Amino acid sequence: MKILAVCGFGVGSSLILKMTITKALKELGLDAEVVNTDITDAKSYRADAIFTSPQFVSDLQGSAKATLYPIHKYSDKEEVKQQLKTLFNQN
Amino acid sequence: MEAVDDYQAAITLAAKPLLEEGFIEAAYIEAMLDALEAYGSYIVLTDYFALPHARPSKAVKQTGLSLLLVREAVDVKTKPVHVFIVLAAKDDQAHIQVLGGLAEFLMEPQNIQDIIAASTRDGVYTLLKERWTLT
Repeated sequence: MKILAVCGFGVGSSLILKMTITKALKELGLDAEVVNTDITDAKSYRADAIFTSPQFVSDLQGSAKATLYPIHKYSDKEEVKQQLKTLFNQN
Repeated sequence: MEAVDDYQAAITLAAKPLLEEGFIEAAYIEAMLDALEAYGSYIVLTDYFALPHARPSKAVKQTGLSLLLVREAVDVKTKPVHVFIVLAAKDDQAHIQVLGGLAEFLMEPQNIQDIIAASTRDGVYTLLKERWTLT
């Protein structure tokens, strides 16, 4: 399982989101590889899932090669956990 | 700070210490504001907290952070924000450790509430020093 955390530049917010996902995975006892990148790279990147803002979800629809999961607050561990549960239940 | 006119003013003010200390050039502030317009308000990472930043560039001379606390919530594209931490990253690497500590700090919503409640600059500083672990 490979999860992509995406923001505009791939350096700040997506890194924070990656850390939130990593922490949430650990607390849920789940395992996945988490990588952060920018919105441009996200379009061609091969992954199982993309976690990003609702606006970027709209931008990526059609071009992304992974299932898109909107995250409203990148530091909200509970919101991330809910999306992880959905992701892992589908796979 | 009690109140500011809008989020553009808040981000400019929040970045002022970095500008005055020579960590960034004015172009970096423009880049942060442009990013917010182009990419939306995901820099509001949790309730009442925003991390304005842009891509590492020549406009960043040294990696650093600066903080602004505004008593009256600032509307960042419909999201209310009290705490702004400007991130200036010189490259893709130098800030990663700092953000690790910040990520942990932000996952605990009480931490932001406590910053908002802090009455003095020293109070904010002490709180950050105690709870923001630099790994």
